[in-house]
Amino acid sequence: MSNGSGTRRWGGGAGRWMLTALMLVVGLMFLAPLFWMFATSLKPAAETLSRDVGVLPRFADESGVAPGKLSGAYAEKLGSQAAANYSAAFDNPVTDFRLYIRNTALVSVLSVAGMVLSSAIAAYGFSRIKWRGRDSLFLVVLATMMIPFTVIMAPQYLLYKHMGWIGTFAPLWVPAWFGGAFTVFLLRQFFLGIPRELDEAAQLDGCSHWGSFWRIILPLAKPALAVAALLQFIASWNDFLAPLVFINQQKQYTLMMGLALYERQHGGTPWNHVMAASFITMAPVLVLFLFTQRALIEGVATQGLKE
Amino acid sequence: MSGEAQSLTRRAALTVMAAGGAAWAFWPRRSRFQQAPAGRKEVVYWEKWTDQEGAAAQRMVDWFNQSQDRIWVTKLTVADIGAKAMVAIGGGDPPDIVGLWSYSIPQYAEAGALLAVDTLAGAGHLNESYYTPAVWQLLTHEGKQWAGVSTCHSLALYYNRAMFREAGIDRPPRTIAELDACAERLTRRESDGRLRVCGFHQAIPDWWVYFWPFVFGGDLYEPGARGTPGRATVASAEGIKAFEWVSRTAERLGRVPGRAFASSFNRSIGSADDPFFNARVPMIMQGPWTANFARVYAPGLEYAAAAMPVDEAVYDEASPITLIEADVLMVPKGSPNAEAAAEFLLFTQRRDVHERLAMEQCKPSGLRSVSERFESEHPHPYIALHNDLMQSSRARIQPRTRAWKQYNDMMIAAFEAVWGGADVGAELRRVEARVQEVIDLSAERLRRRREARLGDPGEGPQRRGAATTQEVEAQRWSGAATQEGA
Amino acid sequence: MRRRWPTWLVGLAWVSPWLVGFVWFLAAPVAMSLFYSFTDYSLLEKSVPVGLANYREMLGDSLFWVSLRNTLVYTFASVAVGGAMSLGIAVLLERRLPGTGFVRAAVFLPTLVPIVAAAIGWRYMFTTDNGLINAGLKSVGVGPVDWLGDPRAALWAMVLMGLWFYGTSVVIYTAALRDVPRSLYEAAAIDGLGAWRRFVSVTLPSMSPAVLFNTVMSTIWSLQIFAAPLLMTRGGPDNATMVFSLYVYRNAFEYGRMGYASALAWVQILIAVALTLVALGLSRKLTYYRAA
Repeated sequence: MSNGSGTRRWGGGAGRWMLTALMLVVGLMFLAPLFWMFATSLKPAAETLSRDVGVLPRFADESGVAPGKLSGAYAEKLGSQAAANYSAAFDNPVTDFRLYIRNTALVSVLSVAGMVLSSAIAAYGFSRIKWRGRDSLFLVVLATMMIPFTVIMAPQYLLYKHMGWIGTFAPLWVPAWFGGAFTVFLLRQFFLGIPRELDEAAQLDGCSHWGSFWRIILPLAKPALAVAALLQFIASWNDFLAPLVFINQQKQYTLMMGLALYERQHGGTPWNHVMAASFITMAPVLVLFLFTQRALIEGVATQGLKE
Repeated sequence: MSGEAQSLTRRAALTVMAAGGAAWAFWPRRSRFQQAPAGRKEVVYWEKWTDQEGAAAQRMVDWFNQSQDRIWVTKLTVADIGAKAMVAIGGGDPPDIVGLWSYSIPQYAEAGALLAVDTLAGAGHLNESYYTPAVWQLLTHEGKQWAGVSTCHSLALYYNRAMFREAGIDRPPRTIAELDACAERLTRRESDGRLRVCGFHQAIPDWWVYFWPFVFGGDLYEPGARGTPGRATVASAEGIKAFEWVSRTAERLGRVPGRAFASSFNRSIGSADDPFFNARVPMIMQGPWTANFARVYAPGLEYAAAAMPVDEAVYDEASPITLIEADVLMVPKGSPNAEAAAEFLLFTQRRDVHERLAMEQCKPSGLRSVSERFESEHPHPYIALHNDLMQSSRARIQPRTRAWKQYNDMMIAAFEAVWGGADVGAELRRVEARVQEVIDLSAERLRRRREARLGDPGEGPQRRGAATTQEVEAQRWSGAATQEGA
Repeated sequence: MRRRWPTWLVGLAWVSPWLVGFVWFLAAPVAMSLFYSFTDYSLLEKSVPVGLANYREMLGDSLFWVSLRNTLVYTFASVAVGGAMSLGIAVLLERRLPGTGFVRAAVFLPTLVPIVAAAIGWRYMFTTDNGLINAGLKSVGVGPVDWLGDPRAALWAMVLMGLWFYGTSVVIYTAALRDVPRSLYEAAAIDGLGAWRRFVSVTLPSMSPAVLFNTVMSTIWSLQIFAAPLLMTRGGPDNATMVFSLYVYRNAFEYGRMGYASALAWVQILIAVALTLVALGLSRKLTYYRAA
């Protein structure tokens, strides 16, 4: 979109290259923890506790001789070590990651569906209909973003207890069906940008609010809906606090609970296995990010825009 | 823009499909958690153990499942089981039976959240003469038995005989002064001041940092006389002496290197990198499971166990000081299959069952009567020591108050502060005052709660009658328990 | 034709999914916690009213003050350093240098890492003898630091780890920088302002809504810090990372003191509201100043 102007402004001299180097260093520093975690998940256990901290696995033998990083022997060792670590993490006797993947997928899909639908409806009410009190109520929406979960976790627990939801998945996905402040906010910003004439024309043709919502706004808002769905999927996939407080039975653990259990088991879990388990739990989100990073980042950036 | 949007939607859809495909591939064909066979009543059993100890508990469960054909126990491993059990039982989603630590009993019992074992049919033989004295104290509260023991243990000093020999030490230390002298002879440092070998470290492992007042003849808690709350006593002269010893040790090892040394072993206790197995810490206070782990992770280790050294002033060979803890099994009120769960609980209290689980987890027996086989076939080379410690008249237990979890957390912080050089007296007095406040508040509120239960007109006549009986019984018993404690 | 409903009713009907959820899942629990903050309640048993006792108890509870201090220190450090850092990175990203897309993605990616995995990874990074951080410090001749074991270092370890999650702020600042009108820069260039003065007197004021938004959001976010110390240090060593939410959680779910926990939670709400109001007030002042 702005490649033309970008290329034009590259002209500068040494200062510019130094800035580039600085920026790349910053980027690498942000990537380093993840990369190191990934490299650790490929190492043999002994190397994870070794004092000479290396980034890539070495696979030194008894005499301390390590194969060259580009040699076939290295690739072979890397492959077998990776397979060993990942299968040890995946098929460990304590946690059943297969089951947790299913639980997490179920909860995430249900909450994405509910969140997008309900928030879109509410966002329509906050953007495409003019009514008294709308904007002050919207301030309340924004204010709710400020209530920390840790403040309401205890009373919410009591509430779910009264409703008989403890012991079910309901606390993890039903609230999403009542929309969420952030998603409402995101969609409202987008809906406000759609020209008024479109649904006014439709309403003159006898179309109800529901009709213009369903046939005009939603189709136009597909990109925003996709971003909202992505963000909600990632949020509920990664959620740790809600399952921590509301889920008791191990049969209902989500991946994040399973990962915490696996890491904290008695006697400690070897770092290489824990890191492999972490990457197993993160894989779907990382893959999603690879495919959609641009839209995701743009979507998040709109948060800070003034009206 | 719309091209961008379309390709985004397409990409998102593709990813979701790929994720769906992956989920399909990983979909469990059969859940790892065994299903109860048709026709059997399923009892859900929560337990904290993982690994070898978890496997041993599972074998006990299997034994029960094979011993009859009506009930099927499913064991689930639960992380953070203390918090989870409270939340689940309070939330009305309890397991049928749960394996907790004995310190939970006061709180659960006072809340009326457990089925008393005394009331179970067929539990008549489970009484004071069935369990060792310390274990009986741990299972009871206000005179009623609230739980069965799954395993129990006493703590002892484990030492590395090879390293003792090299350093020319011919017998394990018996007093704190001897312990310090041994530790000093065994400690080795790197050239940069870091510890390579640390003779003895009060925070390795860091599970019992509240233990040290015991070895100076002190205690943490004094149960209350009839009707009055108990007293926290950690800031007694003995307690202060104990933590001054900790502070001196820290000073000698170096406060910073000593702490760094301990924190580097945070995760490795009971694994291949355990500092005792690696010969980094030749003397360590540990439980009997050490023998089990040593067999797996350090088969060549030459070690022995002895009673924990104590301060000279309180040394008595006939009556060693130790800490007794028990893992307990309790049936929460509201357990969906309470009767079946109780049957399983009674099964676990059988001597043969208890001894088999104890042997597999390498622990002593919590019962007064011990079979001949138990000592002769026990895999632990020093089981006799642990059994003797179980019976010692100076075996200590954790304070029997619902404030203990908080007390313990505060002791951990106080230990760390003392290690860092904080003033021992001030630190302990602060802990003691705060714990006392919590004890007093909860005693006062318990009293009010019980009064409310007695006089609540909203409760039906039947329930009220039941509450009254329970209340009267509790009062009668609390008097008896106090006398016994005193 | 059907009778027309008044517009406010139509509007309310449309926002009702959110409204019902707000009342039911947020307002009701918040009100319940206010009620329980005046009781003694343990989850396992019925509540007993105790009046203001929980609030009085707090005043003398040194751990309450410690956790409050830790949370505020963490918040101020994190918001100040994180704010400056993300603004700096955003400025770099706006220079349209080669590799910008990659760096932007790299900075944003950590915000998608689940906190459990991040806690595990950083715990390993922070290990004294074989962690990446100390290896990095050693190469410049510093350390080793016992990050999670030393009471003086542990909270700063949390701050350092928290900086990893500032990608959202960076992205928002980038968008705001893009919206600064070119004409302003041109005017500034005519006035002969240097780069730093130009940034302070032109760029920063015109993106003040984004600064305000980021500051408020990261303050709120930092005040909530919970999962990292829960998973990494359990509040230790010597309560150095005992933060407010963790103390609430312990009282509610570990000590069985839900009433006391509710009172603590209410103090937390009041602090969050107060800090937000302060931020809004400051922004109004700054805006007037700019208008004048």
